[in-house]
Amino acid sequence: MDSSVALLQTASGLERLMAGSRPGILRDSTVAQISAFLYYEAAVLSKLTKNSEFQNLFKTTIFNQIEKDFGSYVDSQARVKPRSLHHVYEWNKTGNPAARLFKLTKLDTDGISFKVNYDFKMSKSTVPSKNKKQKRRYVFANKAMVMETGMPVVIRPKSAERLVFELEGQTIFMPKGTSVYVKRPGGSQATNQFSLSYGRFFGGQLVNSSIKASGFQRIFTSKLAKSLEVPLNIKKVQYSFTAGKIRTQADSALSSSFGGSL
Amino acid sequence: MTVDYKIDAMFELRKFLWQELKDSKIFKASDYYSEGSDSEIIPIIPVQQSPEMDQFLNGKKHIVYDKIGISYEDIWLICCEKILFTIYSSDITEIYEIRNLIIDLFRRMDDSAKDANRAKTTSKLIFHSINVVETSPIDPSMELQGYMSSDVILEVKYSRTTGPNGRFD
Repeated sequence: MDSSVALLQTASGLERLMAGSRPGILRDSTVAQISAFLYYEAAVLSKLTKNSEFQNLFKTTIFNQIEKDFGSYVDSQARVKPRSLHHVYEWNKTGNPAARLFKLTKLDTDGISFKVNYDFKMSKSTVPSKNKKQKRRYVFANKAMVMETGMPVVIRPKSAERLVFELEGQTIFMPKGTSVYVKRPGGSQATNQFSLSYGRFFGGQLVNSSIKASGFQRIFTSKLAKSLEVPLNIKKVQYSFTAGKIRTQADSALSSSFGGSL
Repeated sequence: MTVDYKIDAMFELRKFLWQELKDSKIFKASDYYSEGSDSEIIPIIPVQQSPEMDQFLNGKKHIVYDKIGISYEDIWLICCEKILFTIYSSDITEIYEIRNLIIDLFRRMDDSAKDANRAKTTSKLIFHSINVVETSPIDPSMELQGYMSSDVILEVKYSRTTGPNGRFD
């Protein structure tokens, strides 16, 4: 059984005690008040993980930090190993955070958990060429994905009658209409290297370090403490409390604590 | 009084690591003597200088470093930096040797910071904690042919002494 459900079920036993004692000569609020106090705390704790504001804060805070740290990690790896990771950046901008062709995506799941995956962005810059006579420039939009997967490509003349390109200082003129087959665009060193870096980040201690650095624990503690502050009406002497009202108060306390900005 | 902004925790760690590598006889300083500059070159180089050192370090074991990230949190006096060391050598046992020394030096959090504090050359920096976050397997290097490489990532927490207004002194 979910612990929050178990807590709610146990706390439901307090409802009878909160309703107050039968009218008599002596009236005592102690049992009803203590019961209401405990009922409120139990309601806050049991509703916590189901509260949408809490779930959102949890996912956003942690994901934002992971996204930042993962980006910095890949940038650094790319600066040290440009041949392996040049393909996940715009041309000639390897390791530059503003030129990344990858992004992390957050997949929401139920409760306080989420899955992380990555996507490749389309390249927008033109393929660099040493041939100054070349008029038409080509944008290799799927550069990151094609080079990462090591997918071979066939280059065919699109508007010109033949392909002309520079190779080791020489200008090559291909026969009319023929194509060029590139077995490993981006070089064999690039194949699966982003995926390897991704695996190292999420399979090792780096992701844990990122979760710690997100400060979620600190935010959680302070906001939960605020939610657990017992409302004034429970602190005042009363002989009877309504369970429904206390549950509503617990809901609104959680929403106001976790719904605000960080 | 002018503030010295050249002081950097990374430089201090680099000097400390180089001293330890020499003391443990893993590196011999004379192997890295440069006639051009008439001095020994420390083979722990920033990634930005890596291409220009390629020729000098050709065939020699060396370490390339880069800062992965630097951040200040709510407690803005304490800086948290992640540093990536990539060890290059053509001999796998040399990589193991260097990596083991780095791990031995920097895995002990407060105690590693104490050692770094003892070795530092400036009183303006105080190391609080150093630990090894990640090490990668030894692979043939894709960048430098004939070399193998392995990464070690450190997390370093430190602060710099400040004046009454909280700025570096």
